[in-house]
Amino acid sequence: MSEVINIEESIISRFNSWIDQHYPSDSALKSLKKSAIDKFEELGLPSRKSEAYKYTPITKILEKNFDFQTSLSSPEWTKSECESNFYTETDANHLVFINGEFIEDYSKIVSASSDLTIRLLDDHAFTEIPELKENLGKVNGTSIDPFANLSLAFFNQGLYIKASRNSDNKNTYIYQFIDGTNFSPISFPRIFIKGDSGSRTRVYEKTYIKGEEKSLNISIVESVVDANAEVRFTKLQQYLTSTYSIEGIYAQQSKDSRFYTNTFSFKGAVIRNNVYINIDAENCEGHMNGLYQISGKTHVDNNTSVDHLKPHSYSNELYKGILDENAKGVFNGKIYVRPDAQKTNAFQSNNNILLSDTATINTKPQLEIWADDVQCSHGCTTGQLDKEAIFYLRSRGIEKTRAKALLLNAFANEALVELQNDLVKEEVEGIILNKLG
Amino acid sequence: MLKIENLQASIEGKQILKGINLEVKPGEVHAIMGPNGSGKSTLASVLAGREEYEVDGGTISYLDKDLLELAPEERAHAGIFLAFQYPVEIPGVSTTNFLKTAVNQVRAARGLKALDAVSFLKEMKEKMKLVDIDQALLSRALNEGFSGGEKKRNEIFQMAMLEPKLAILDETDSGLDIDALKIVADGVNKLKTADNATIVVTHYQRLLDYIVPDYVHVLYQGKIVKSGDKSLALELEDKGYDWIKEELAAV
Repeated sequence: MSEVINIEESIISRFNSWIDQHYPSDSALKSLKKSAIDKFEELGLPSRKSEAYKYTPITKILEKNFDFQTSLSSPEWTKSECESNFYTETDANHLVFINGEFIEDYSKIVSASSDLTIRLLDDHAFTEIPELKENLGKVNGTSIDPFANLSLAFFNQGLYIKASRNSDNKNTYIYQFIDGTNFSPISFPRIFIKGDSGSRTRVYEKTYIKGEEKSLNISIVESVVDANAEVRFTKLQQYLTSTYSIEGIYAQQSKDSRFYTNTFSFKGAVIRNNVYINIDAENCEGHMNGLYQISGKTHVDNNTSVDHLKPHSYSNELYKGILDENAKGVFNGKIYVRPDAQKTNAFQSNNNILLSDTATINTKPQLEIWADDVQCSHGCTTGQLDKEAIFYLRSRGIEKTRAKALLLNAFANEALVELQNDLVKEEVEGIILNKLG
Repeated sequence: MLKIENLQASIEGKQILKGINLEVKPGEVHAIMGPNGSGKSTLASVLAGREEYEVDGGTISYLDKDLLELAPEERAHAGIFLAFQYPVEIPGVSTTNFLKTAVNQVRAARGLKALDAVSFLKEMKEKMKLVDIDQALLSRALNEGFSGGEKKRNEIFQMAMLEPKLAILDETDSGLDIDALKIVADGVNKLKTADNATIVVTHYQRLLDYIVPDYVHVLYQGKIVKSGDKSLALELEDKGYDWIKEELAAV
């Protein structure tokens, strides 16, 4: 009789057979990966009592839906199939991942390599690029997160992007293509973005999934933003009801730098977003914006934190939620202002509208402030659409459904303020409107 | 144009209107006055179709239609306009965008084709002059952070854009300084034609110096207890409402 093994053991045993097939014994990455799985073993998956996963029992969800022992067959996405899904902006970089692996051959890179380095994050890159060795798997607390460690252990063919000093870069679009036609894929896309001093980098990520099988996506983006550099990362999460996703963005900012994230979640089975910004320098700006407009049984959990360690920095966070049917939303926003971080301005707000009696939201702002000369505010609201506002619009001749859509659209659009890309903006606005019916 | 017969209405089980009778003809200005809590705003709300109010009895016919059968937006399409006592602030929707949607939905309902951007702007510019409203204000979110006077001016501006047949001004003068009041009243007067009618709901006689009514009705405890011409308003200003209460008590 076979012994019942727990999910962590199953994952580790999978790793042990997988790693030897993919990495030779002299691989530099291999030892990093081995230490990541050791760390994962030590941390374990979040327990039922985990505060960080209180409303998203992730371990149970994984146990129920995924078998880490299944051997994976090759995904089927052709080059032309991928290309046909690219955004129409031609003077931009279009980078393709298939089931979590960066496929250089399918990608279209237009940036000069003197401006933007785009390359496979593999053993060669890891050996040749000192900052990878220095930072990979270490940016802003990634090393203490079990999923970031799983990602580090299992990622294969990651992506390394580096903006050269003072380069102002063309848009970069990253497409995650996932094939769940014949098997239930587990993907580990790993992206490392470095903005050298004075540079600007804008990255937009979108996912295409085909097939009926359940898919699991464990995605990690690490970003190191040097002095006076700017990095923007935008995610569009329009998945399938069979998609489970755990995604992390970890940023580390140097002085005078700016970092922006936008996370737009519309559909999926369970989506957990971890967005963590570390501001360990003066005069930085960190922005986190998000919208979750969900229905059906979609569950979206946004777990965010900004850590101010030095004075004179600014952070702003705005998450908005529209929840219909049986959708579940979770928001947790932490702001830390450490003793040295005087003159910090940190703002956070989370507003939700529930459109049905069965939709739920759990929202928790958390401020921990040790410095005494700071401006911080946070607020969360949850409610229904303002009846008086609906009546006001109707009294001017606007039909009820249109009035509601107008109000919800205005509510949702506030989360788009930091989205600078017209193509993506149009698409997101379209999805918002479409969902409003 | 409007005929209200024995109208009774309540909110949350509490009866407010206890049998209103009122007839308004094209070209007329009617003032509804009365002490606080007499049911003035309830009457305005019922006419505009606010759903919290329950109509318990009576009829309202408007242009030969049963007004009570119509949804608020259908009433607007049919030419009813309510200037709100407390205009609602709506973040994220600019006055311009909102009005364009409203104007075109009203036009569609009236069988007119939608205004294109150019004609809409032209129309807007003309009507802006009427209430001396600033373009910058209109590109801001609807009423958000507007002063009391700006909100009321915006109401009359919307009225100008929607060209109603029956305008109901609910306490449009409350909280306005005299300058703002003059501007608002001036706008209303300019919009007046022989074909449209206005119902001015107010607590204060002051507004009626600027919008001169053909009829004044006193609403008290859910009924119109006295009607007269504009001199009734002056009498009320002079003597307050107590004499009416006493007169009623004596009956």
